[in-house]
Amino acid sequence: MTNEYPFSNEVGDMLYATHDNPITNCLQCGTCSGSCPAVEFMDHSPRKMIGMIRANMKEEVLASNTYWSCASCYQCTVRCPAGIDIAELMYALKRYSMWKDQYKSGLIGPAFSESFIKMIVNSGRSYEPILAASYLPKFSTFDIVQEAITASELVFSGKMNLFPKKIKRIKNLQNVIRRIVPIGELS
Amino acid sequence: MTNPKKILIIDDDPDYIAGIKPILERADYTVEVAHNPKEGFNLFQARPFDLLLLDVNMGRGAEGVAVARKIRKNPKYNAIPILIITGIREQLAFLFPHESVQPQFADLDGLLEKPIEPKVLLEKVSTLLKLFEEKKNI
Repeated sequence: MTNEYPFSNEVGDMLYATHDNPITNCLQCGTCSGSCPAVEFMDHSPRKMIGMIRANMKEEVLASNTYWSCASCYQCTVRCPAGIDIAELMYALKRYSMWKDQYKSGLIGPAFSESFIKMIVNSGRSYEPILAASYLPKFSTFDIVQEAITASELVFSGKMNLFPKKIKRIKNLQNVIRRIVPIGELS
Repeated sequence: MTNPKKILIIDDDPDYIAGIKPILERADYTVEVAHNPKEGFNLFQARPFDLLLLDVNMGRGAEGVAVARKIRKNPKYNAIPILIITGIREQLAFLFPHESVQPQFADLDGLLEKPIEPKVLLEKVSTLLKLFEEKKNI
């Protein structure tokens, strides 16, 4: 049996499951795209993405790099005259694409997100050298050299620690996360 | 002939619903579906159901939790069995590997993890419905 539930509804449910679907309020005014500092790196502008979601173009939406290019600056959300939380829409699409394992290949975003979350859960802090190394295979040689130069400068100027640090009482943080993510109590 | 038992599925994954709905219907249950907690809770209030199959992670977070709590708080529905069917391990097991999934958020009647064997699902559903029937008759 095939799934006949429209993609636009799925996206709406992910955004505000307890409210009405905000995507349907979009005026296509383009304020989001005009405000976006990352739009030049995107396959489709945020305005176009919303149009594509409304047209149920699931494959095209998931195959685009738009939501992985979002810098989460929230300018679109703040300026949207229809009150759509577009930055949250981008997060919803990231979650959805990772859940369904359907995203554009060759992007740093999915590997970065997973490494970042694991690191926060295990140490309570983000530690750039490990974070960068976890998605190193996605870089070209030139990028790796560039990253190494930037990292050395940060270490020498005292802006980055050479060794990772854990927060105190990491177990407490993990217990908080267990309550939020409802995986449950320790068995 | 007895009336078929009515089951409500609240799950945000239409692919999953498309998979389990026919399994339950073939076992002679009447199945209704809701793709989000709001729609699900409205349906649940609108007509009587004998069992609720509920997903945990919907919308921005664990919104299935809110549905389970609302139902358990209401004396009108709190005897209706709730079976949690969650894919949370599939999605987030990398956070806490080697731990059991046992959400301690509401009084539940059962928990199954996706993916589920149809046989296991049907056995669990039938057990819960029998228990519910026995409770009603006491």
